[in-house]
Amino acid sequence: MENNIVIDVKDLKIRYRSLNKISVRKSLLSLRKSKIDIYEAVRGITFQVPKGEIMGIVGKNGSGKSTLLRAIAGVFSPDEGEINLHGNSVSLLSIGVGFQKRLTGRENIYLSGMLLGFSEEAINQKLDEIIEFSELGNFIDKPVRTYSSGMYSKLAFSITAILETEIILIDEVLSVGDSKFKKKSYKKMQQLITNEDRTVIIVSHNNDTLNKLCNSILWLHEGKIKMQGKPKEVLEAYEEFMS
Amino acid sequence: MKRFINDFKKHYKYSIYSAKSELKSEIANSHLSWLWWILDPLLFMLVYTFISVIVFRTSEPYFPVFVFIGLSSWKFFEKTVKQSVKLVSANSAIVSKVYLPKHILIFVKMYANGFKMAVSYVLVAIMMAIYRVPLSLNIVYIIPIFVTLIMFTFGVSTIMLHFGVFVEDLSNVINVLLKLVFYMSGIFYSISNRVKEPYGSILLNFNPVALFLNDLRLSMIYCEAPHRKLLLMWFLVSCAMSAIGIRIIYKYENSYVKVM
Repeated sequence: MENNIVIDVKDLKIRYRSLNKISVRKSLLSLRKSKIDIYEAVRGITFQVPKGEIMGIVGKNGSGKSTLLRAIAGVFSPDEGEINLHGNSVSLLSIGVGFQKRLTGRENIYLSGMLLGFSEEAINQKLDEIIEFSELGNFIDKPVRTYSSGMYSKLAFSITAILETEIILIDEVLSVGDSKFKKKSYKKMQQLITNEDRTVIIVSHNNDTLNKLCNSILWLHEGKIKMQGKPKEVLEAYEEFMS
Repeated sequence: MKRFINDFKKHYKYSIYSAKSELKSEIANSHLSWLWWILDPLLFMLVYTFISVIVFRTSEPYFPVFVFIGLSSWKFFEKTVKQSVKLVSANSAIVSKVYLPKHILIFVKMYANGFKMAVSYVLVAIMMAIYRVPLSLNIVYIIPIFVTLIMFTFGVSTIMLHFGVFVEDLSNVINVLLKLVFYMSGIFYSISNRVKEPYGSILLNFNPVALFLNDLRLSMIYCEAPHRKLLLMWFLVSCAMSAIGIRIIYKYENSYVKVM
């Protein structure tokens, strides 16, 4: 049983010090350090995600969902507590992944793939599949700045969905593209569910989606876990709470 | 240190590819495309040669080569440092999505700028042949000088990268400072011949860029040995700066994202 846990979050706390950008003038004037404003976005969270699980995270705006995802992705380290991914590779997918706008879609696939830690050969193998899935056609060899916002997100989704990282973190992205592409990405997500090796965490405000896709739901409220359990129960309680 | 080497190995391919695509995207939409890598230093060389030879009536032996060496090396230093200041915010899309050791971004810039420098040094070599500049074994010294220049650039850049995140208008200050260093480095005049003592030696001893340029010219054009002790000292200083810079970056890089 122990071996099946892929994400292990223990007593996680993340604080934002208000490290605002300051100007040179200001920093010269206030040589003594001014009082630092500390905002704790995630206030002590403990949970585990077993392998192959699709977990949804709900919560109102500012409850720390995105912060939590970024912490799991390793973008910033926890101020307290720990996150153990047991050596699994992880990718964070959210609206507008960092593409170089002047480069073509194809080159951006390579760049993103390499950022996620894949070798050039691994990307070569998956390249056709990604291009096909993204439905971009000839646009794949045009600069990304010429893309529509839908095409942009489709490409981002395809890269993460096809390049197989063991853990996929999805931040509000399932509603990209037209209805046809939406259906397709649902399908892909469901396919990921059946793939026992893949663990997915989805942040979304769309309760229907979560209900259909997830095995379990985590409800965050002001940086703490309010409820965790089966999608139906948690979502019902959450809906009642929000109304 | 170990972590630094591991990170370097892990992201080596990415940084090369990223530098390549950056170079590619720079020229993708211009009519003259890669010709700009040659035209840019060439035209600037003409501008400075015009100013010094025609306007100020000063000249050095093999003057165009002299200016070209200074300009190419200076551009490498200046561009890398300037870009480092804004590096994290310029790459915010990447930095907020995946973990990437932030100094890898400096490597990307250094590869790209280094490539451009290499191109202009090919031109330097061609011009040296045209002007029939005498060569001596001292030319071997350009290798340690370049190593020192690169280390120094990296050291300054790491520190700039860190403070650039937190201090909004640092880039304005740096632009002015770089302009000052530009004029104090003797890009288009010879410090040792044109600046009165003791100011000339002060500039050469305390402005590493001036020293690098001066020594590059000594070993490439004038068949002399460079200031070996000073170079070694600046090399050690650069190593120390890089080590401190890397340490600071590792310590604070996780809060960079929170600032943006």
